[in-house]
Amino acid sequence: MRRQEIKTDHLLRDPRTGEAIPPKAQPGYYPGFSTLAQKQFWDKKTRQVVLDRVENIPPIRFFTPAEAALLQAICDRVLPQDDRDEAHRIPLVNYIDARLFSGRIDGYRYEDMPPDREAHRLGLAAIDELSRSAHGLGFLEISCRQQEEILKSLHDGKPAAAHDVWKRMPVLRYWMLLLQDCVEAYYAHPWSWDEIGFGGPAYPRGYMRLERGEPEPWEVEEQRYEWDAPAESFSDIYELISGIDEHKATPGQGGTH
Amino acid sequence: MTASRNGAFGKRNGHSHMLGPIQRVEYEMAQYSESDAVDYCIVGVGAAGGVLLQRLARAGLRVVGFDAGPFWDTERDWVSDEAGSHNLYWEDLRITGGPDPLALGANNSGKGVGGGSVHWAAFTPRLHPSDFRVYSEDGVAVDWPISYDDLKPYYELLELEMPVAGPAYYPWGHPHGYPYGPHPMGATGDVLIKGCTKLGVRVSVGGPVAILSGSHGDRPHCIYRGFCIEGCKVGAKASTLITHVPDALKNGAEIRDNSMVARIHIGKDRRVTGVTYFDDGGREHFQKAKAVIVSGYAIETPRLLLNSACPGFEAGLANSSDTVGRYLMAQAGNVVLGRFDELMRMYKAPPAHAMTEEFYETDPKRGFARGFAIQTVGPLPISFAKQMMVAKGAWGWGMRRVMMDYNHWAAIALLGEILPWPENRVQLAEEKDRFGIPVAKVSFTLHDNDKKIIEFGKNKVMEVMWAAGANEVVQEARYAHLVGAARMGHDPRTSVVDGYGRTHDISNLFVCDGSVLPTQGSANPGLTIQALAARTADYLISQGDSIFTSSQRNMERPPVRHNLSPPGTSGRGVPRLK
Repeated sequence: MRRQEIKTDHLLRDPRTGEAIPPKAQPGYYPGFSTLAQKQFWDKKTRQVVLDRVENIPPIRFFTPAEAALLQAICDRVLPQDDRDEAHRIPLVNYIDARLFSGRIDGYRYEDMPPDREAHRLGLAAIDELSRSAHGLGFLEISCRQQEEILKSLHDGKPAAAHDVWKRMPVLRYWMLLLQDCVEAYYAHPWSWDEIGFGGPAYPRGYMRLERGEPEPWEVEEQRYEWDAPAESFSDIYELISGIDEHKATPGQGGTH
Repeated sequence: MTASRNGAFGKRNGHSHMLGPIQRVEYEMAQYSESDAVDYCIVGVGAAGGVLLQRLARAGLRVVGFDAGPFWDTERDWVSDEAGSHNLYWEDLRITGGPDPLALGANNSGKGVGGGSVHWAAFTPRLHPSDFRVYSEDGVAVDWPISYDDLKPYYELLELEMPVAGPAYYPWGHPHGYPYGPHPMGATGDVLIKGCTKLGVRVSVGGPVAILSGSHGDRPHCIYRGFCIEGCKVGAKASTLITHVPDALKNGAEIRDNSMVARIHIGKDRRVTGVTYFDDGGREHFQKAKAVIVSGYAIETPRLLLNSACPGFEAGLANSSDTVGRYLMAQAGNVVLGRFDELMRMYKAPPAHAMTEEFYETDPKRGFARGFAIQTVGPLPISFAKQMMVAKGAWGWGMRRVMMDYNHWAAIALLGEILPWPENRVQLAEEKDRFGIPVAKVSFTLHDNDKKIIEFGKNKVMEVMWAAGANEVVQEARYAHLVGAARMGHDPRTSVVDGYGRTHDISNLFVCDGSVLPTQGSANPGLTIQALAARTADYLISQGDSIFTSSQRNMERPPVRHNLSPPGTSGRGVPRLK
């Protein structure tokens, strides 16, 4: 009976049974697949860069401890990792901090945006203010669902408070910046490649099986399972970012053609 | 200060400089004195600058190429990793705005020797003959001062020099064949073929791409790892770094890497005298030159011309027409993503490997001028996640879920012609870079014809994706490529340079890069940029010393020099159809 007392609201659920799915070392449909297990087939420089990402997690140098804690809570909802066990969570805040600390930017700034460092600081303050104005509590102290509601109001371009911040920084541009920094950190990590079945670095060996989604001998066949988002969450519902012309909404990455 | 130059190059430090896994640079590079005027300073050793440097050096001219970024040792510097490749791109600050702002990040311009050709996806379609006459044929934009026939011999040369892999018969524009065989298909190519075939649309399969389908001299063939825009560590994808720069150096060219040109100087006779640049340590240098060619691409070229304003040229160099920075273009690059029940694994194979130009030409029934191409793309996980932010509004558990399905998605994209407009322009911002040089400010607006092409084109690409059997189709609006902003033309009142790239205002100042394009078609610009560079080189060589001494403008067409190709490229893999 004691087991039932453990709070499982934040865990994924099996849609057939309604049972919580316990956190895993490696979520996703490719159990046993490990890109890092292939590292002896990578070139030296790539191996060094990827291993460094895993083994030498950068310390927090840009954000204050309070800001880092707040950003952690935001990242936990923007790109939740409750399905990963503690030892296998990807430290998004550290990588975002490292980018801002180094001053690396993507090569441009929208004329209506402050510089990235300032934008992140403003955004953190605004999210906390949104929480205080709606609930009388800081973002760290409200429920996951309430946190999601605040983030969804950014996604919808309709934040209910912190208007002085949004005058200095269009809310959707900030939302894109935040999301972009989160996915750049998460999907740069080899554990995420294992999760999604991406082959990872492939030089000098290369790929042989190009068609029909067939795996290389060292890749793993897909083994799907059904899962529902946690009971208290609604961030698995897809709604387009609204109220904005498409070309104004571009997150502005290169990376295709 | 010569000792501080040439930071990253060559035999120094006791190691060979690797350009790909096999090609080594083991010889000394020329070092020209700063006080002794070289023949040409080339600002930017990218797609155009690399070809210019090679040809001018091979013709015996004394040339120095400057690049703001490093001289890559590809084995030492490049990685097979998306997040680890930021340093290939021009990531210094630019300001972007206007009603439909361009996102200038990542792989739309390069920094480092090879420039954008280091991180292009390497699609190499030619422009169509109609592209040179869009005003005459469609009443929009402007005609080029040159024709397809002027550029055709250079397309043929560069397709051998890169060389280009593709089908034996390419049916669009001026039909032609490719010297190297087509590549095998990956998932996105299969999707494009299937969708187009269902709709009765012809597809070019396995190219045209400047990626080796067979080994070529000291360059190995493609290994289909998919990291093209992260820099081809394999050495299979062409970049001027590996195709032209080695031959340039052997023939006496000097490259100063990590050297940011800040200003072009004008003498009392209103002629260029040289360039000021900053080395990596921030030290200022002046290199004397008899002529200067700006090859900095569509943002940095106008930025440098504007930043070089001086008495007599208050609005910037070569800007008497107030055209420098104007008529900047990007192409519409909407990415259409389809989810399939079966697995795709689109990270394998080069992103660029199949395309169609069936919708390229003006069709009056569609209600807009010009058209578009459809091409394969193969976004790696980070790029795909960013596309899903927009295409599905994914975040939170929704992002995690769609990413777990990454291997079920395939992506193809629109490449649509956006016309040149004067208010789409590069200006100078208040902000300055680390050398104290004002950065570029870019403003962009889509016009009616552009929006119609995007709407029609994106729907057509989605139709292809549905026809291929996708069970969900979404799309993300975006731009691709940058050209224009120092356009060529006959009329000095409405253009910056003439048909050979010589500025109308200053007879020993040239522009040679994507910025000279008056219009862009729906073709990826890389091949055209390199072909234009080869043509400009032929012109400069034909003109000889008169470039350095005379203000006469001889517009006579130069002979096509077939003997200037890098060794081992000319005559290999002869196309069956010319």
